Amino acid sequence: MEMIATLRSDAAKLLTEGRAKLVIGYQARGTRRVPAFVSDPAKAGVLVYDDQCKQNLAVYLRKPEVRVKGPVAIIAPPAVMRSLMVLASETQLAEATVLAVGKDVYHGVLDLAGVAALLKEKYADLAPPKELFDALAKLNAMSPDERARFWTDQFAKCTRCYACRAACPGCYCLRCIVERNVPQWVSSAAAQHGNYEWHVIRAFHQAGRCTLCGAC
Amino acid sequence: MAHTETKTTETAAAGFQPRIVAFVCNWCTYAGADLAGTSRMQYPPNVRIVKLPCTGRIDPLFILKAFEGGADAVLVSGCHPGDCHYTSGNYHARRRWSIFRRLLDLTGIDERRLFFSWVSAAEGAKFADLIRDVTAKVAAIGSFEPANPARRRPWK
Repeated sequence: MEMIATLRSDAAKLLTEGRAKLVIGYQARGTRRVPAFVSDPAKAGVLVYDDQCKQNLAVYLRKPEVRVKGPVAIIAPPAVMRSLMVLASETQLAEATVLAVGKDVYHGVLDLAGVAALLKEKYADLAPPKELFDALAKLNAMSPDERARFWTDQFAKCTRCYACRAACPGCYCLRCIVERNVPQWVSSAAAQHGNYEWHVIRAFHQAGRCTLCGAC
Repeated sequence: MAHTETKTTETAAAGFQPRIVAFVCNWCTYAGADLAGTSRMQYPPNVRIVKLPCTGRIDPLFILKAFEGGADAVLVSGCHPGDCHYTSGNYHARRRWSIFRRLLDLTGIDERRLFFSWVSAAEGAKFADLIRDVTAKVAAIGSFEPANPARRRPWK
């Protein structure tokens, strides 16, 4: 609990000192954790951080409606920190004020260089979940036809709500490929073929950039 | 892009003729194909050539579109490394292709349907050989599964 108290007081301090005009973090709503946008130091008390904070907050840093309220400080667990590194390397983010958190630990207020050092030092060995590799091994053992059937079943669930795109800090194109309709590159119907194209192209666009944060 | 039907009757046994879409660059492979033609070299007519300024212009979506519209295989060919008319376009293409090929394979498009090659403007014979080779390989594995999600099917 001490960790949360320090986090809240640091957030309030940033706002009072004017180093940030907006702090993006998590707050509790019922049993869920939803994003919190705090601009009043007195309201820093709503901020929380625990295991249930799954959303990748780095997604908000590219949004114009958030940027105009800046400078922004962001509460970042390791997954979000890695997204910040990706955005910085793609020159989408020049600087950041980061309240770095980890599992039951608060690392303090850092800038981008500090985040890079912290990731290297403490979170370099963070590997994707083992189930992911198991699933991949299973897929690799299949024949092409079995793979096609597997993905057909997977894509059948997709309703093309584009929540995956909205949740992803890597998906920041102002005009996404699915919205380019002259010609209609990717069918926007939530049917087998369009879903296939959409997920393949999204996966391709994320190749080498995905931080496996799991937000999507 | 108007292909809404896929032929399901074709089999390897019944004189299957593969449809191969070749994305080639203007400066090397297209000139190589031209040389093969002007030199009266014979190669199978199964290849449909799409000329682009550079292999770096090839969006992975082009390849998806080719499979969607009925291609049995896709060939991408451009200038040799170091010879790109635009300095580095073929390097971009190579990086994209190596990832995209793996991705397509993972989603159920057999890697044997995806070809990459370098053919220079002086290599008419190599182009003819390449097309013969690709056509034979695709003919051996048969037509692309019409039920594959990469194929577009009529709206139901």
